[in-house]
Amino acid sequence: MYGVCIVSVVRSTEYLKLLLLRIISWVSILQDRSSPVSMRPLRRGACLRLSSLQTPTWSARAALRPVFVRYNSSFSSDQFAQLASRESSRHQIYQSCSTDPYVNLSIEHFLLENAPPDSSILFLYINQPCVVIGRNQNPWHETNLLALQNDREPGKNDQGALFVRRRSGGGAVYHDEGNLNYSVISPRTTFTRDKHAEMVVRALHRVGATNTKVNDRHDIVMSTGQPQPRKISGSAFKLTRHRALHHGTCLLDTPNINRLGSFLRSPARDYIKAKGVESVRSPVANVSSVFVDAMMPFSTERVMASIIEEFAQMYQVDADAVRRAQRAHVLEPELYAGDTWVAGAVGEPQGYGEPEIRKGIDELTSLEWKYTQTPRFTFSTYPIEDDPRERPPLPSSLPPATRVFLRLKHGAIIESHISASSDAAVASEQAAHVHEALNGRKLHEITPAQWREVLLDRLGADVEGQSLEELAKFIGGKLGWDTSS
Amino acid sequence: MSAIARSVRPFASRVLSQKLPLSGVGRVSPAAGFPRGSARSFSQSPFLALKKYAESHEWIELAADGKTAKVGITEYAAKSLGDVVFVELPEIDAEVNAHDPVGAVESVKSASDVHSPAAGRVTKVNTVLEDNAKFINESPEGEAWIAEIEVSDPAELDSLLDAAAYKELVDEESN
Repeated sequence: MYGVCIVSVVRSTEYLKLLLLRIISWVSILQDRSSPVSMRPLRRGACLRLSSLQTPTWSARAALRPVFVRYNSSFSSDQFAQLASRESSRHQIYQSCSTDPYVNLSIEHFLLENAPPDSSILFLYINQPCVVIGRNQNPWHETNLLALQNDREPGKNDQGALFVRRRSGGGAVYHDEGNLNYSVISPRTTFTRDKHAEMVVRALHRVGATNTKVNDRHDIVMSTGQPQPRKISGSAFKLTRHRALHHGTCLLDTPNINRLGSFLRSPARDYIKAKGVESVRSPVANVSSVFVDAMMPFSTERVMASIIEEFAQMYQVDADAVRRAQRAHVLEPELYAGDTWVAGAVGEPQGYGEPEIRKGIDELTSLEWKYTQTPRFTFSTYPIEDDPRERPPLPSSLPPATRVFLRLKHGAIIESHISASSDAAVASEQAAHVHEALNGRKLHEITPAQWREVLLDRLGADVEGQSLEELAKFIGGKLGWDTSS
Repeated sequence: MSAIARSVRPFASRVLSQKLPLSGVGRVSPAAGFPRGSARSFSQSPFLALKKYAESHEWIELAADGKTAKVGITEYAAKSLGDVVFVELPEIDAEVNAHDPVGAVESVKSASDVHSPAAGRVTKVNTVLEDNAKFINESPEGEAWIAEIEVSDPAELDSLLDAAAYKELVDEESN
């Protein structure tokens, strides 16, 4: 209702936006007190907050801009699912007003599964800080879980970057507010792995980053004068019978450029040998670094506009759709549609409102998907047949004969050897005893306190308590737990 | 395929297979055919007729027992996916419906599901692929099968494409 009375007085849309923003922030303060969706700690975008003002803003906008109705019509954002799956929606361009990676990945997945088979879709989004691994990767091997939000033990560390497993293939990447994600969903018959990376390169050239190109890994790199080009964008794909999804990161201007590697460096990398897909490490750079000395300042909005432009050219998108897409302001969840197209902004209201997207979010946030989807792997502090690498020396606080070996399938322990005796017979007895307590347990569910309990219970008769405490800390630490207390 | 076609087809093919002995896969099974003399001759050379293809580029081959079938991806699929780096095998005893995922492969940063051409229960998985995913590129329609399933209704295979029809589809898609 506040929206309506202000709109009737104020004519300048810019001023109106400012005022709306002020109201939104005010409303959001009220909302945050009794936040309806506060189950998970999210940095919610203004989009969700605005949804409470939806009805008044719609009527206000319709009254202000009657002229556009002639060409195409605006739709309430709860019609997203319907418009996206509409048979005639051949071109769709969306921006997200959510920074929640689970929401954005699930909207994207919904579009992959439900948009008409001959449609081409561009979806642009920016996620809050998170590390996203490929579908067939191992979180203990690819990420530094300790530096990420602790989703395994609720109530512990709920600060910092999220850990996310996506549905597409490929390696681990870091996202934050300085990283733009582009996602193109198109018919599989005309798809190639380079075509949309090339599209983004053209868009980057258009804004002045002419030192960028696609490399042989379908990533985008930037030559910076150093011998090895810097990676600015990583690609991953999900293919279905008729459709191909290509999504990519694009490091435009992340403030964490010098420390993002620390999120992707596992403390257990010397011990783990994993089936599945290993990430390929590359030096990275921000696209904005090119503009340091340029006359024109770098802007994320310009890159987004440029990608939309290139997408429109590639797929001959209706000019009205492009105009609407360019205008889609991330603060306003609005949708427009013509006969053959849909354009606008989507976000959490759509994500949580549409049951199928909601289902996708639930799957991605589940610990089963995040951890037990992991391909088979071993963790061993000593060389084994599957992984004969030399190992770094164990901490001196542990008995010198300490051996820790775990074999995991679907994230659960199926074989283990944990012992502390140099006598082979005693060691194997100890290991058998410990394995009884570990067999079948899911690795992500075993907290340091539980490691301690198991070790004290099973080895307490043989080994000094202090050594076992240290061993529990060592194992817990390597598996990404905070063991400082 | 529309939901109606999906539900009607197996029924239709069952009816057909009863009327026309030549078209039925179930007919080829020696176990099913044994008591009825007329069907026995077909059990002599069952293999050619028993391999069928799905539009989503999987193959299914019914064994001589008429019940179990191997499932894999086609040569065309393997080629279009590129170098396979990981194969996710299904769980033994998992029940799958036709078109449900019965595994997944990753190649060149691309994840794709493998769909079961027919409904059934997973009885075996090809563990060779756990250590050697690339094998799928070498022998997609031979030794690099993905899973063996006990087919719920062998007549369901009738609705799938035969080799000629599948080739036609591939030719069409690669144009």
